[in-house]
Amino acid sequence: MADDDTLRTVYELVQLMSSLNETRRAILLALSHVYPRSVSGVQLGRLIGYSGKSRSLYRGVLTHMKEDGMILVDELTPRLHAIRINSEHPLLSVLVEMCRKFGEDTSKIYAKALEE
Amino acid sequence: MDCLLKHAQGLYISRQRITIATLMVIFAFAFHSFYSLGIHGFGATPPEWFPVGWTEIFDVVVSLNTVAFFLAFSLIVFAYGLWSWAFLPSPAVSYTVAAFRGLFGQNVRIQYRIGKRFRVFLESGRHIDVRCRIKEASSGDWFVYRFTSCPLTGNNLYSIALRHGMSSRNRRFTTWIGHDELHHRALLMAKAMASVTPAS
Repeated sequence: MADDDTLRTVYELVQLMSSLNETRRAILLALSHVYPRSVSGVQLGRLIGYSGKSRSLYRGVLTHMKEDGMILVDELTPRLHAIRINSEHPLLSVLVEMCRKFGEDTSKIYAKALEE
Repeated sequence: MDCLLKHAQGLYISRQRITIATLMVIFAFAFHSFYSLGIHGFGATPPEWFPVGWTEIFDVVVSLNTVAFFLAFSLIVFAYGLWSWAFLPSPAVSYTVAAFRGLFGQNVRIQYRIGKRFRVFLESGRHIDVRCRIKEASSGDWFVYRFTSCPLTGNNLYSIALRHGMSSRNRRFTTWIGHDELHHRALLMAKAMASVTPAS
């Protein structure tokens, strides 16, 4: 049986994930599976099956998530951003750890999608 | 999207169209009335080398009529800006209020103020400020909410905020929320505010 601290973190993580909307949830799941790689806005849009433009994704949801400390965005050039999950976030670090431990097959699918 | 919000969106779009059509009519009417009453110049004379036709145009353009016309026009634009800043379509108001009532009970006190702002009073004497944007210009998202908690005193606010998917700024929890997250993230906000212990 896991200890109380871990259980509490997992409880909070489940609560956080279920409070987010579909787009944000998909972004977090995709990014935590491809961690430690970072992806560009276009790649992320493809990974989560986003139909709109990556620019509107960037200016809306991604900016908000960055403000809330869930993701990190490095601006390589004005048009190219490297997006990755914030692995120091108290809850998302657990998500990343779980994905690395148990999500090997899912990671492969995401990695293959990125290669294309 | 919730059907109330869909309704609000439709209302907003059609109202915007009506307003713009009305503005065009008013514009034409103002143009006509300001220039048909005779031109009142400042007494400025154009340089002598101007061709005659140009001098007449100069008289019309540099005149009290033009100044008044621009004043009137900017007043119209200002009125339009004020209108779109101040009011949220009423179905969206009922959606927002219903979400909070569902969450915090039917008797919760909610203030709706001009400028698309809400203030939800919690039982603990604290309150949450909510601001709504009908359409985000940068991303094209509809009905985006901004949550801001009341100023809090306590230790490790930042880590509590992170653990609830928010950030803390100036000792307040803040976050941006999509319209489909309103209910759950308001719950998280209330939970985060409840878990802050006052600094000793």
